[in-house]
Amino acid sequence: MIVKVIGVPVQDQEKALKFYTEKLGFLKKVDVPISEHNRWLTVVSKEEQDGPEILLEPAPNHFEPAKIYQKALFDAGIPYTQFNVDDVQKEYEQLTKLGVEFSVKPTKMGTVKIAVFNDTCGNNIQIVQML
Amino acid sequence: MTYYLKEITRIKNNCYSNQGQLDTVIGTRHYINNNFDNELNLDLLSHIRFTSKFHLLRLFKRYYGQTPMQYLIDRRLDKSKELLLKGQNVTETCFDIGFESPSSFSTLFKSKFGLTPTEFQKRAIFTRSDKECF
Repeated sequence: MIVKVIGVPVQDQEKALKFYTEKLGFLKKVDVPISEHNRWLTVVSKEEQDGPEILLEPAPNHFEPAKIYQKALFDAGIPYTQFNVDDVQKEYEQLTKLGVEFSVKPTKMGTVKIAVFNDTCGNNIQIVQML
Repeated sequence: MTYYLKEITRIKNNCYSNQGQLDTVIGTRHYINNNFDNELNLDLLSHIRFTSKFHLLRLFKRYYGQTPMQYLIDRRLDKSKELLLKGQNVTETCFDIGFESPSSFSTLFKSKFGLTPTEFQKRAIFTRSDKECF
């Protein structure tokens, strides 16, 4: 088995696509219409275009428990998932300039440095740097 | 303060309060990153950090989940992928990343990535030419 796709629930796929590509720098990989308002929509890291895809899935709009779970995580400040970066401080500064809001500023946690931002689609996302 | 922030603070205090130990393992990791292509062993790494090798081994494993030597092998193998993708041959790559034997390099590479270095290189070339065709 290999990891090919990782799902991230989003409340608005178009808005999520803009955020993940324009702010975070991911690239759109697959965009296939599934029904009138839903797409199989994935993005990949620019540095690893054959790596795992992030599926921006509209689950919170169609499945109530997904919506409740997403909101509970968000309200508790818990990240839905995390991405690795080379330099958390640098990413923090760049993303802040682009208007991205952080709930956890760059913080050392033992052998890693982390920060957490709001993806504007219902999730907290953590970035991690190995120290 | 959110639940997550409280948890971060709690974990930091409980698990990461010994800055001396953190400095030792982080320093060791950086040393490996900067010198992975040289001959490295536990004696040398512990000597550099003024600690006993068994203590360093235990600390590194506790904080990074693997021994310094396992980390060194992973670092070398990751670097080897970069060199192979640039078209460098297997033997040259093997010596450039600090391995002494191409056959043990190939075995380790296959055990980590599921392909021999040669297969990896061929696949990368085919994938690249496929993309160019389309």
